[in-house]
Amino acid sequence: MKKLVSLALGTVAAVALSAAAHAEDFKIGLSNGWVGSEWRTQMIEEAQAAAAAWKEKGHNVEVVVQSANVDVPGQIAHVRNFISEGVDAIIINPNSPTAFDPVFAQAKEAGILVIATDAEVSSPDAMYVGIDQKAWGAAGAEWLAKTLNGKGNVVAINGVAGHPANEMRVAGYKEVFAKHPDIKIVNEVNANWDQAQGQQAMQNLLATYPDIAGVWVQDGMAAGAWKSIMDANKSDQIAATGEIRKDFIDLWTKDKLNSGASVNPPGVMASALNVAVLLLQDKELKEPATAGQYGNAMYLDIPFIDSSNLAEAAKQVEGKPGYYSYTDQLSIEEAEALFK
Amino acid sequence: MSDIAIAPPKTAGHGLKRAIERFPFLPALLILVVLLVLNGLYQPRSVSLVGITGLVKTYLALMLLAVAQTYVVYAGDIDLSAGAIVSLVNVSIITAMDALGGGTSAVLLGLGLGLLVGLACGIVNGIVVAALRLQAIVATFATSIFFTGLALYVLPVAGTPAPTAFWRTYGGRILDIPFVMYAAVLLAVLLLVLARTQLTTRLLAVGDDQQAAYQSGLPVTRIRITGYALAGLFAALAAFCITGDTASGDPLVGGKMTLNSVAAVVLGGTALAGGFGTVTGSVIGALIIGLIGSLVFFVGTPSEWQNLVQGVAILVALMVGILVSRGARR
Repeated sequence: MKKLVSLALGTVAAVALSAAAHAEDFKIGLSNGWVGSEWRTQMIEEAQAAAAAWKEKGHNVEVVVQSANVDVPGQIAHVRNFISEGVDAIIINPNSPTAFDPVFAQAKEAGILVIATDAEVSSPDAMYVGIDQKAWGAAGAEWLAKTLNGKGNVVAINGVAGHPANEMRVAGYKEVFAKHPDIKIVNEVNANWDQAQGQQAMQNLLATYPDIAGVWVQDGMAAGAWKSIMDANKSDQIAATGEIRKDFIDLWTKDKLNSGASVNPPGVMASALNVAVLLLQDKELKEPATAGQYGNAMYLDIPFIDSSNLAEAAKQVEGKPGYYSYTDQLSIEEAEALFK
Repeated sequence: MSDIAIAPPKTAGHGLKRAIERFPFLPALLILVVLLVLNGLYQPRSVSLVGITGLVKTYLALMLLAVAQTYVVYAGDIDLSAGAIVSLVNVSIITAMDALGGGTSAVLLGLGLGLLVGLACGIVNGIVVAALRLQAIVATFATSIFFTGLALYVLPVAGTPAPTAFWRTYGGRILDIPFVMYAAVLLAVLLLVLARTQLTTRLLAVGDDQQAAYQSGLPVTRIRITGYALAGLFAALAAFCITGDTASGDPLVGGKMTLNSVAAVVLGGTALAGGFGTVTGSVIGALIIGLIGSLVFFVGTPSEWQNLVQGVAILVALMVGILVSRGARR
């Protein structure tokens, strides 16, 4: 009898333990709809590493990834696959800001937490954890305005017209330059976030406007634009925004370029994952995510690299491959600090 | 005796050959069934009613766009602007419905406008390719840039929600049956009717041998323009589905669908050179593309390999299709 009771107790304990262990384990789906750059690969790798780091805190976080070049319906299929798979949360770098409203509603109905990162989404059933693209654009413009002492002719090389991140970044620099009446934007072109097109665009701009003092240019296109500036032997006369890959940071250090770079770190998805795991534990945010145009955003700090901290940035990417991006993420502890 | 012994395999081979000639989509259908079974094995929920409804809901747009592409390919042409037309129709109807107040009449007027926009784009393509005699692949690439530009003009950045009545209908149920299932049946009937029209035969005749078609008195230019016009209409229908599934306007939503529509056509057994094929095959081809994408995930492919595996899987599907039809024709 005694034996039987102890056996029963043991079973109860085991059941309770496994139930507890079960409650601590989460399955999170990561969806990426574009694999055109190493930044996206790094984004997923950092998120996977962040998930593994939760093990020390006693949580098994399993990530399942869907990452491929897909059209919008293809990425909607990603979300539907995750619903079929029965994940606890979905973190998505979305191909469209608005197209996922119905499918996110479906995910929420199935009890799934949805977080978008890198690009904001309009769905009230999702939240956004990432940087404010408008502030990102403004930060580069602030640096440029300060470096030029508030006057001079400026050109802008933008990404894909109509892409929401691009439009927000453009709105960001326009707002800043509008505050400096002596800074004149003489031309704005689109180079589709393509390094070669950025180089070509800069060449054309240099040929058209001999008196350019500043260039506002985004991401990988900056490396292309700087190539043209250096080819024209104008690197001592022009200040231009830069980018965050190791190759460029090395060039920047070596040639002492007059540059400054807003950082959109590939670690944003890892940050979103840490927030997701805390939310899945039913913890409550100190400040609910209500920022941004859709009222569902939680903005992360935007690091900025300029001559004052270039050496630190170079140190972080030392020994990494040339395409590795300078990164930053919300650690578990930093994320925990945001919760009650 | 020996004659009789040899005869049955001969008729069997002949039968398969005739079956594939009559129904060129049979190999694709076989691949589709295999993919459904595999998806079901790895993730049973993906082939449940909810899963299949989701699949149709997601890929109805690509099915329609593949159909659009097929009518152009029938005549030996191609339409690289198909996805751009989807974008343009999407933003046009969203903007129109929003401006008209979003009621039932606004939705219907918006859809009517969408059909007109699709038709107009198709006719523009037709005129540029058939009447002005520019190379289809380059000319429609150019019009795709033009249509995308128009879409960006109509709606510069993604946004503007669709009227609730519209997307709730698309995603909802009537008499407990998902709306998209009715749409799929309606599409099947429409395709069946179209397949029996003179137009289909004429398009195929032009694609088979343009010179011969011309010499036998067919109005080749007009037929090719009609093919593009029909493609424009089906692209508009594809845009309706995208709008129903995404409930919003996005000027870049369709761009990447163009090449998928071409791939679906080829997977379905239609010859890109023209003159041979079926729209049914293209519909199946669209589903194959969707199911391959899901299967790659359900079998647990590591993320860095997913693009590669997906590409290889589509190639294999293409090869299987071609080998089966070639074997049958021999």
